[in-house]
Amino acid sequence: MNRSIARATLGSLALIAITAGLWLAFMSSPDVFQRDYVRIMYVHVPGSWLAFLAFGVTALASLAWLISKRMVFDRIAEASAEIGVLFTTVSLLTGMLWGYPVWGTFWDWGDPRMASTALMFFVYLGYLALRRAVSDPTARARRSAILGMIAVVQVPLVYFSVTLWRSLHQGMTVRPDGIAMDGSMVAALLVNIAAFTVLYAYLMVERTLLARLETETAVVETELAGRSVERPNLEGLA
Amino acid sequence: MTQFWRQALAIVKRDLIVEGRSRETLAVVLPFAAAAVFVVPFATDALEARLSTIAYPVYWLVALLFGMQVALRQTGVESQAQRRQLSLLGVDPVARFAGRVIAGSALVLLVLAVTAPLIFLFYNPEAIPRPWTMAGVLVLFALGIAMLSTLAGDVTTGLAARTTLASLLVVPVSVPLLLGAAQTLESLIRGRTTLPWVLTLVITDLVLAVTGVLTARSLEESNT
Repeated sequence: MNRSIARATLGSLALIAITAGLWLAFMSSPDVFQRDYVRIMYVHVPGSWLAFLAFGVTALASLAWLISKRMVFDRIAEASAEIGVLFTTVSLLTGMLWGYPVWGTFWDWGDPRMASTALMFFVYLGYLALRRAVSDPTARARRSAILGMIAVVQVPLVYFSVTLWRSLHQGMTVRPDGIAMDGSMVAALLVNIAAFTVLYAYLMVERTLLARLETETAVVETELAGRSVERPNLEGLA
Repeated sequence: MTQFWRQALAIVKRDLIVEGRSRETLAVVLPFAAAAVFVVPFATDALEARLSTIAYPVYWLVALLFGMQVALRQTGVESQAQRRQLSLLGVDPVARFAGRVIAGSALVLLVLAVTAPLIFLFYNPEAIPRPWTMAGVLVLFALGIAMLSTLAGDVTTGLAARTTLASLLVVPVSVPLLLGAAQTLESLIRGRTTLPWVLTLVITDLVLAVTGVLTARSLEESNT
């Protein structure tokens, strides 16, 4: 299959999946206590899941770069970190929007999940800032690969924060002893998680391709600048 | 003494001699930290009861920000020519990392030791029941800040925005250190067990040490 057709197919699939997910989110039954505010969860939970997935992929791609020194892994790490920051923002914002009507506040320091997610967000902002500060591609790849592997320590910390510390945040919904949720809600949640994952895959393909084009453009620009500062030919003028 | 520790101690000696000559920590950073401790009461209504409750949070904030500043400055004094020379001389990158961390920790401890009496003087906080436990916690905290700053300094070596970027990298990652140190102190005062928080500090220090050891060669390759 042609690459552009494959990309278009993946994009269409992501759009259909997101539409189906949102439709289910609006059609599922409301919660007894949270009422319609529970629907925010269908975006919040997939957003958090994608943040974890994206930062995990960044760490794996960073490790792969350190072992193989192949630039494709650096591009994957960059793309995944950017998408991860985007979905961490989605997760934080939707969490705050849900928190106000349900907990009575946008932000609660008594919730370690919120605080640790915000910290993870800042760590990856630092990762992206580092990438922009280094111009040499190899030095950028090496330095950000090291940081990408250090930063991933935040992911388990955020995930287990609700069990490690006393928290206002809802605990794990899917546990070994069963699922603490209504069937229609579980279906809507799972479809949305799957839909957001397809969206992540599509964004990854597009962003990685863009990163490759950026690298190629940088090489062309360097060559042009190199030609413009060539030593002038002074032969015969002395 | 093994070759590794001889090299590490030579680096410690070099860094402390450079600090002794420039006196930047003693003459600039410490007075700045003291001034920060002194000006905070102006931002509140300076009632003794309120100052007493914010005393330790102010101490940890000053310890983190100024400790980080000292450790980052100390890792930034090494020029590329010096790094190349050390590399050509066959100095083990891990020994270099260890040496810089030990020297950095000593300077961070100096900041912690000088600002602590100022907090007691200006804020009148609750007394600490077991000061020797707290001294050990301060050593663990200083080690962690020095390791983190050394790593961030190495990752940002040679960049135009080094100072600000390295701070951005250090502050969010230093939270387990801050949490461990501050909660140990709180637990001591309230008579609760300190073990989970001391363990948090020890584990964070271990993770940073392992990261430093594993990445030392790769970072040296990048910076020389």
